[in-house]
Amino acid sequence: MLERLYNLFLQFREYVLLAGLIVLSLILLSLNDKPQVRRIRTIATVAMGVVQNQLSFIPRYFQLKGENEALRRVNMELADEASRLREAKLENIRLRSLLGLKGQSSRPLITANVVSKNLTLLRNSLTLDVGNADGVKPSMPVLSESGLVGVIVAASDNYSIANILLNTEFRASAKIQRSRVDGILAWNGQHLTLKNIAKTLDVKPGDVLVTSDYSSTYPPDIRIGIISSLREERGSLFREVIVTPGVDFVRLEQVFILTAVPDSEKVALEKKVTQLFNP
Amino acid sequence: MERHLRSILIVLGLLLLQTTFVPLLSLGGTVPDLLLIWVVYTALRRGQVETTIAGFLVGLLQDLVSTQLFGLAALSKTVAGFLAGYFYNENKIDQTLGTYRFLLVVGSCSIAHDAIYFLIFLQGTDVSPILAATQFTLATTAYTMAVSALPMFAFSRRLAT
Repeated sequence: MLERLYNLFLQFREYVLLAGLIVLSLILLSLNDKPQVRRIRTIATVAMGVVQNQLSFIPRYFQLKGENEALRRVNMELADEASRLREAKLENIRLRSLLGLKGQSSRPLITANVVSKNLTLLRNSLTLDVGNADGVKPSMPVLSESGLVGVIVAASDNYSIANILLNTEFRASAKIQRSRVDGILAWNGQHLTLKNIAKTLDVKPGDVLVTSDYSSTYPPDIRIGIISSLREERGSLFREVIVTPGVDFVRLEQVFILTAVPDSEKVALEKKVTQLFNP
Repeated sequence: MERHLRSILIVLGLLLLQTTFVPLLSLGGTVPDLLLIWVVYTALRRGQVETTIAGFLVGLLQDLVSTQLFGLAALSKTVAGFLAGYFYNENKIDQTLGTYRFLLVVGSCSIAHDAIYFLIFLQGTDVSPILAATQFTLATTAYTMAVSALPMFAFSRRLAT
């Protein structure tokens, strides 16, 4: 009997092997959210990041010309913006003193270099050359001079991984700067969209989108991008709002990590209330 | 033993290329899959059983260093390795590697590989999984086939000499 089984196994060993490895792969797929698996992947990604960091001069050399042009353009824009900001700051100081408002303290920023990018699929991410040793923690927002880049999702001692806006796991509470209309920013695999926008709300192409005051992860008024188009959905109360991000992720090489973690008390309270109404 | 060690070094080198330089060749977000070409090459040289295991291990390595779904590359490369193994013929190894047949095998395996990968990957997104998977599969397969012409020409030159 055993010999017959063994002969049968030998006869169909390719199929048995295929079935076994498929089952193993499916088990691995089901373990995606396990912290142990995330930890192992962080170590592997970081190890690859170290090697990529050594080789990063090559793509940078090829991108140098484009980078110079982009820097010149950004320089012009920043010079113009700096002039306007000086005016705005003077006006702000005057108005604050009039209203007796408390000045908001600016949070410290950590500068980081992008050592590798994953920009070809739906869960796009960046590997950065700063980690726990530099004060980086998961849930810290990542910014660039063009606006919101993403959020830190994992950190080791010297490296960290950030999910960017163009990631199906990314969500952020956002508002239209002009009309103060709020929505949820998400990447649907093809477009960056602002969800939950009723057809009656005041939203126009060209409107600037910033982070809203309701987010527990991102400070308010960080620039995200502009509304590029609106799509009407038949039979729906909502419209699809397409957003063009302000950040050019292909050219992105340096970012800033805002050392702000969500207010744990606020998050705990919101979680408690959510669980209360959705047992 | 020496053969396995050489394979490991080649896979690590290709993985480094795939994650560092290949994104620079991206056309509209589509990149060729060098590791899949290596899996097909191994299948045509070594046969089905060895390549099914090699496909799984290569996919697992790819999963480890990416931030995509863990286990998905392992699954799709296992199936691709298994399918590529059907084209193994120990009497015609060089003839298959050095002719357009190599491109056809790469294309067939790439379609199966990408269809599995993208159909699972696109679940839970707002886009239509079947439509988007078809687009991604065709684009990636075409690009991978085009790149696999390079080793094919190298093998055909070796065959001619």
